[in-house]
Amino acid sequence: MRQVWIVMRREYLERVKTKGFILSTIALPVLMIGLIGLSAFLGVQSERSERELALIDYTGLIGEEVAGRLAAFGYEMEVVGADVGQEELDRQIMEDELEGYLVIDDLTLTEGVFAYRGKDRPSSLRRNLFERFVVQTALDRHLSALEDGASVRALIEGGQLDFESVVEETDGEDAEVNRITGIVTGFGGAFLLYFTMLLYGAYVLRSVLDEKRNRVVEVVISSISPWRLLLGKVLGVGSMGLTQLGIWFASAAVLATFGVPFVVAQLQATGLEDVLQFLPGPGVIALLGAYFVLGYFLYASMFAAVGAMCSSEEEAQQAQFPVMMLLIVPFVLQMATIEGSGFAWMDWVALFPYFSPVMMFPRAAAGAVPWWMVASSLVLMALALVGTAWVAGRIYRVGILMQGKRPTLRELVRWVKTA
Amino acid sequence: MTELAVRLAGVTKKFGTHTAVSNFDLEIPRGTIVGLLGPNGSGKTTMIRMIMAILLPDRGTVELFGGFPDFARRSRVGYLPEERGVYEKMKVLEQLVFLGELRGLVRREAQSRAGQWLERLELSEWSGKKIQELSKGMQQKVQFIGTVLHDPDMLILDEPFSGLDPINQEVLEAIVREERERGKTILFSTHLMEQAERLCERVCLISRSHKVLDGDLKKLKRRERSGAVAVEFQGDAGWLTRLGIHDIEVVDDAHHIPVTNRVGHDSILAAAVREGVTLRRFEVLEPTLREIFVRHAGEQSEEPAMAAMGGAR
Repeated sequence: MRQVWIVMRREYLERVKTKGFILSTIALPVLMIGLIGLSAFLGVQSERSERELALIDYTGLIGEEVAGRLAAFGYEMEVVGADVGQEELDRQIMEDELEGYLVIDDLTLTEGVFAYRGKDRPSSLRRNLFERFVVQTALDRHLSALEDGASVRALIEGGQLDFESVVEETDGEDAEVNRITGIVTGFGGAFLLYFTMLLYGAYVLRSVLDEKRNRVVEVVISSISPWRLLLGKVLGVGSMGLTQLGIWFASAAVLATFGVPFVVAQLQATGLEDVLQFLPGPGVIALLGAYFVLGYFLYASMFAAVGAMCSSEEEAQQAQFPVMMLLIVPFVLQMATIEGSGFAWMDWVALFPYFSPVMMFPRAAAGAVPWWMVASSLVLMALALVGTAWVAGRIYRVGILMQGKRPTLRELVRWVKTA
Repeated sequence: MTELAVRLAGVTKKFGTHTAVSNFDLEIPRGTIVGLLGPNGSGKTTMIRMIMAILLPDRGTVELFGGFPDFARRSRVGYLPEERGVYEKMKVLEQLVFLGELRGLVRREAQSRAGQWLERLELSEWSGKKIQELSKGMQQKVQFIGTVLHDPDMLILDEPFSGLDPINQEVLEAIVREERERGKTILFSTHLMEQAERLCERVCLISRSHKVLDGDLKKLKRRERSGAVAVEFQGDAGWLTRLGIHDIEVVDDAHHIPVTNRVGHDSILAAAVREGVTLRRFEVLEPTLREIFVRHAGEQSEEPAMAAMGGAR
């Protein structure tokens, strides 16, 4: 085990120390968070004016309420009567005592039209907020005069389609939220699994091929058994992958913790709880982890075998095609049935262990298949892994020391038999 | 320690229709320096790769330390392949420590040994550099360190000196001799006859996948004496011509008399006494390794092989 650890550490450190890794792993999220943070910060700063806003209300009916709503949102708002006069307010603006003011008159009550006077054009955020609050206030005023105001308001705000399944009971809103969460998580997870298995599989292939090409493997293999070398390598690349995913998840979490509430607060469209309820639960994340680990080992061993049977990059490009097809086919099938529904026979296709990460995980996350199917797919994957690793390990063992032409299928079979 | 380090019996290896090693027998006792000599393409590397179980023979048996070259036995060998295998992107010291640890050294031990070796081979200032930044010769020295770092019982070196300047060749030769003094077995392949002659105790000459000769170098030379003599004396060479010897070759003040003259050693000495010649040296010449090789490989009409040996790789 010590040797496996030594190989793994080398593989891990040599990868993590490269510029490419640092760039893709650390710089990317930092840059994204930085950009989002910066723009948010600037947006807030520009809205947090030191100077006051005013509101001149010619109707004397809704001014106070509009100002109240805006004040609740953080604007300093002073309501002045018609007696002050716009000339005075304009003068204050020119002398930088006031940033701007809203003008509300009868037309505002009937058509929602109002004016904003100031030196600078208002930001789109400010414009949206002002429009929404003024129109809502005016509307409220009309609705409160009506007997059935509440229902008119409900209709204005839009209806809603409730899906009622005739197959099984849906218990209200919670189930709907869970379903949406499941679909989104399932799709995101499937994409992540597809992407990482392809990427980290390619890393393993490259690592095996490089060692074979520069003949280091001949030196190394005199001190360590091929099995241990391969295991160390796969574990090393895998831990690099976990590090990368960890950093990405962590930065996504940071973004979710600080970014989402901020955005929510800005839009005030939905409450924070409304957004958080869409985040996947720990059970689904554990399932994702299980599919990642099994799927990664399954594909890494196949990519390692491909690397071992080739002698050049070009050869490897061709030889890895069948393995890549094993990943691409389920991905295409999955895209066709994005919500986890679709044809029932697809659920059985998803049981095929090489397809399971990309196809069964989203089904499991969306709750579209019974639990025993998920469990059997995991068991089947574990069995497939044992078999695949056995064959791949034998190909690896012979292949890394073999130079020259790529073996034919018949030769491969002989390698597996004799190794 | 009667156990053989390496034994090959009836070993044949074919690549397609080409026979790389043909019905080869070889025994390498422990604690000697053995040179595997032959022109390029004569099968040296294939043999070495079979000893390291990188290749398996089609026929015959290969034994290392008395058994199949399995993993445990191979780990007692420091192996330097012909193609320079290094992790190009790794730093020099890190690579050496990695190799040392892989072979059972603890990290600190591997570090200190690697440091000492780097110093000895004047590579200390490069220890933090990536291997790909080093010259080919330096890379080769780093790889050589990787071979000896874990203090193996045997060194198997495939063309260890090729591509090195004479000074570095001497440094490595000195290390090889030292390791031999410490009781190790050393097997190395080379196409440089003179070097093998300097370094080896035993040689194995290969030509076109066949063994030409093998054995103790001194005994081999004695056995291969042709009877040619070198004579050094004062005065002119008239007495030799009077003896009927004509095709004399003068090498560094000495007159070399080849066997073709069919004049016995006794007659030459008697003539010298008779003619009152002051003899400084009278020596039965030993053939050089090159001459031995030509003589034997030539018998198998392998002349083209020699052409390949003359040229540098």
